Amino acid sequence: MNKWEYAESIESSSIVNIEKKYGIFIDGKFQNANSKKFIKTISPSTEEVLSSVSLGNEIDINSAVESAKEGLKIWSKLSGTERAKYLFKLARLIQERSREFAVLETLDGGKPIKESRDFDLPQVAANFFYFAGWADKLDLSWNAKGLKPYGIVGQIIPWNFPLLMLSWKVAPALATGNVVILKPAESTPLTAILFAELCQEVGLPPGVFNLVTGDGSTGAALVKHPDISKIAFTGSTGVGKYIQKETADRDIGLTLELGGKAANIVFNDAAIDQAVEGVVNGIFFNQGHVCCAGSRLVLQEDIHDEFVTKLEKRMQSLRVGNPLDKNTDIGAINSKDQLDKITSLVNEGVEEGGTIFQTDCELPQNGFWFKPTLFTNAQPSYRISREEIFGPVLTTLTFRTPEEAIEISNNTEYGLSAGIWTEKGSKILWTADRLQAGVIWANTFNKFDPSSPFGGYKESGFGREGGRHGLLSYLKVQS
Amino acid sequence: MNEIKKTYKNYVGGKYVRSESGKTFRIELKNEFYEVPLTSRKDIRDAVVAAKKGHTAWQKLSPYNKTQVLYRLSEMLEGNFETYQQLLQDAGLTKAKAKEDIHKAVDSIIWYAGMADKWEQMTGNLNPVAGDFFNISHQESLGVVFTLNSNTQSLNSLLLNMLPALTVGCSVISFNEENSVLALKLAEDINNSDLPGGALNILSGKFELLIEDISNHVEITAMAIYKEIHNDQKTMIKENASKSLKRIFINPPTMGLEALFPFIETKTVWHPKGR
Amino acid sequence: MSLTKEAQNVLNWSDTVELIDNLRVDEVGLKERVASLATRSIKKDSKLQALNYIISMCDLTTLEGEDTEGKIGQMTAKAIRPDPSNDEVPSVAAVCVYPALVSKAKKMTQNSNVKVASVSSYFPSGQAPLESKILDTQFAIDEGADEIDIVINRKAFFEGDYRKMYDEIVALKEVCKSVHLKTILEVGELRTYENIKKASLISLAAGSDFIKTSTGKISNGSSREACYLMAKAVWDYKTVTGFKAGIKVAGGIRDSKDAIRYLVIVNEELGSEWLNPDYFRFGASSLVDDVLKQIKKLKTNAYQSSYYFPRG
Repeated sequence: MNKWEYAESIESSSIVNIEKKYGIFIDGKFQNANSKKFIKTISPSTEEVLSSVSLGNEIDINSAVESAKEGLKIWSKLSGTERAKYLFKLARLIQERSREFAVLETLDGGKPIKESRDFDLPQVAANFFYFAGWADKLDLSWNAKGLKPYGIVGQIIPWNFPLLMLSWKVAPALATGNVVILKPAESTPLTAILFAELCQEVGLPPGVFNLVTGDGSTGAALVKHPDISKIAFTGSTGVGKYIQKETADRDIGLTLELGGKAANIVFNDAAIDQAVEGVVNGIFFNQGHVCCAGSRLVLQEDIHDEFVTKLEKRMQSLRVGNPLDKNTDIGAINSKDQLDKITSLVNEGVEEGGTIFQTDCELPQNGFWFKPTLFTNAQPSYRISREEIFGPVLTTLTFRTPEEAIEISNNTEYGLSAGIWTEKGSKILWTADRLQAGVIWANTFNKFDPSSPFGGYKESGFGREGGRHGLLSYLKVQS
Repeated sequence: MNEIKKTYKNYVGGKYVRSESGKTFRIELKNEFYEVPLTSRKDIRDAVVAAKKGHTAWQKLSPYNKTQVLYRLSEMLEGNFETYQQLLQDAGLTKAKAKEDIHKAVDSIIWYAGMADKWEQMTGNLNPVAGDFFNISHQESLGVVFTLNSNTQSLNSLLLNMLPALTVGCSVISFNEENSVLALKLAEDINNSDLPGGALNILSGKFELLIEDISNHVEITAMAIYKEIHNDQKTMIKENASKSLKRIFINPPTMGLEALFPFIETKTVWHPKGR
Repeated sequence: MSLTKEAQNVLNWSDTVELIDNLRVDEVGLKERVASLATRSIKKDSKLQALNYIISMCDLTTLEGEDTEGKIGQMTAKAIRPDPSNDEVPSVAAVCVYPALVSKAKKMTQNSNVKVASVSSYFPSGQAPLESKILDTQFAIDEGADEIDIVINRKAFFEGDYRKMYDEIVALKEVCKSVHLKTILEVGELRTYENIKKASLISLAAGSDFIKTSTGKISNGSSREACYLMAKAVWDYKTVTGFKAGIKVAGGIRDSKDAIRYLVIVNEELGSEWLNPDYFRFGASSLVDDVLKQIKKLKTNAYQSSYYFPRG
């Protein structure tokens, strides 16, 4: 019997034009950093070097701040309508160059082209369109007096959705009248650099958007700079706590969007086939490199076997491979470091007594890869049930009563998101009321919209991004 | 020498149509004549049929899509800047005023474009009812809205008479009199935009000939009168409206959140919360 | 769950009731999954393979009041040899006709592997007593039909009389005996996904060899969502009884691109075991021409016109 194998369908990367070296972007142009150090950025699916970008130092951060001060002088004099127009134009350009951005994102970060093309880029454009439309009507956003922009905002973003995280940060900040210094993740600077080029193309006043690439030290310098009025950070809980501590001695605005260990609760009256899809999407989307990933399957015991059988079958159809292949579902792990972390936690999971299932797939020779993994017979005390793995690994825990489902789901220091699968409406609302999570998806998962506020409870962070509420992250209440 | 510069048609259901009566009337701008349709009651009837279909199609688009459609309209208007500038100057505006008017018009569209995907966040809310219930109030568009536009020769004013109802998802029958040339010219940009056919219909004519038919038409859900009309006309409209509870708005605001209030209907949904 | 003695794949009524109890399908989630499967990019060899699969899975269909023996002659010739200029193109799986044309179709296909399928059971509406449907079906079989395509009793379904719907299919299966039975759900009328899943499972439990989406006679024909849903029903039925049923999609599948999307659903939801005419069919007429064009294009790298391919 003939199997029907899909031939390769590779998205050409000839559309992107990557320079060998990049400096920093301040005063509205690319220029050499003060720092003479560079870091290489590689393609995690091939380990090929794509480019070298500056490793910005404290002096570079200072130059960025000075540039931002100039930018703020201009930006604060413009009307909301004028700010709106810049943002609308950026949205338009992003749409027009979507394919180019998507390919670049896939090359630099390892996510499948199908995702960067169909999810990341449309969301990026949508974010700019949405926030552009707030710029000229901030007076209607909240019935609160005295909301004003912070001024100079420092933003640090992660490597899992580089351009999308940029849009979540930059669009609302600029719309509300702030100016930005952005520090992209060490391993994924390229789409931020291309975005800076767009800022030049729309004629954004110099200093309004500033980009300083680098590593953790660059971020630390940004956080420490006294002339920054607000820090917005998305990344690990560990670094988030560090930032909160570092900024303790100042009166500074702070929003943190950190890690998660979300529970995806499946009740026995769920639409099972769709719940399977939701669970799969919840943990395997973007290789599980998602802060709000549904990494704990909290499953009602009486449907355990039926559900797990369907889940394993569905996992088996996930295609792992070359991210530029349009048929790839699961791309590369973002870095060697991350791969090591995942591997170590998974090995512990086996040692602790979990039953492991991994799909039968061929992994490429070069690059960083991990097979979609499912743990059953796991206990809430195992490390794989408690720690954020940030990879394509799902841990299954069972419950018997709705109260128990709540208890298990809330039994974590995290509180970013949760999923509820049941066809009973009242149960959805009852459960949502009791879950300690900032984003709750009922009968769906990983849904995002610029108008929908996103953010966590507890150690998943504070502050919201997106929507009317997200504006409050960038508008200070004048006392 | 007075010659007929151009004959315009009405814009209904995404198409250019003459009045079924065949009649036109003349508008003079800077010593040049334009022939525009003298809309009849049958034309109104046809426009309502088109507007109903247009409402279904327009309402279906996501708020994000609506934003994009309206923003694109602003881009198109900017692209035809000189054409509008000339028309406004022909209508008597100075060059400077004409330019200012078009800039304002573009800014207005941009304001409303960015409103289409936000207004619900301003008008809807959760209601803190007593009891184990989830209760939410959200808004929907009214339906087919008839607007009688002000006669000001101004592109901005014209758009501000169309945009509020359109932005919240209503379909609009925009009726114009002395400013019809400008309005029917705008129809060309509307036609080239991604607005579904029937969402915005642009007619020219004399309102007093049709006031009875329009105010009696049950399928026109609301009328917004942006032009100054006589008190007895207002009374007649409101009396006829009472037969089907048509919503009537005399001189509603054209900017701000309050501009949207006339065109929305609030729906409140309850759902228990329990295991 | 036990299987009745008469036929391997029939489930008794009380087990059937259990099977259709508490069906739950989320429409939005389902549509998303189907849309995601539609993003598969099928190129080069895998495309050619798919195109050949499609031809071999087609039931070339004519179900018109104006059908004559002459028309059947043309269609059967095309069914046997879809592209005279290319011997690599396989025959289609079957021709599908009204009972009155079965014997002609049988005569024309006797020296080939092309099967003759006949509609029956008062196709397309099914609005007649069971006795008429049995007569209809028996006639087609006596005329030589290899396969029978019946319609479910939607009147009974919408009146909530699932037992009646089930009994009718059981009775018609008894008439068919070893003749292959396809049961048409008419998904365009069933509309909701829960209805489609329920009708699928009842039809399977009553002994159908295949479940089929549509009659092709109403404007809402097949949809990929329906196909996905039916695939889920087929899989669940196999899990419970061990019986492997087939799926036929018909009504509105006009081009190769769409047909390939259906194959992707079958491939990823059921597996390559279903990718053959014994378990998957397309009810089509103009689809074959588009597929032939695409096959030729892959070989010659030029877009084709339909006048290169014979009328059928």
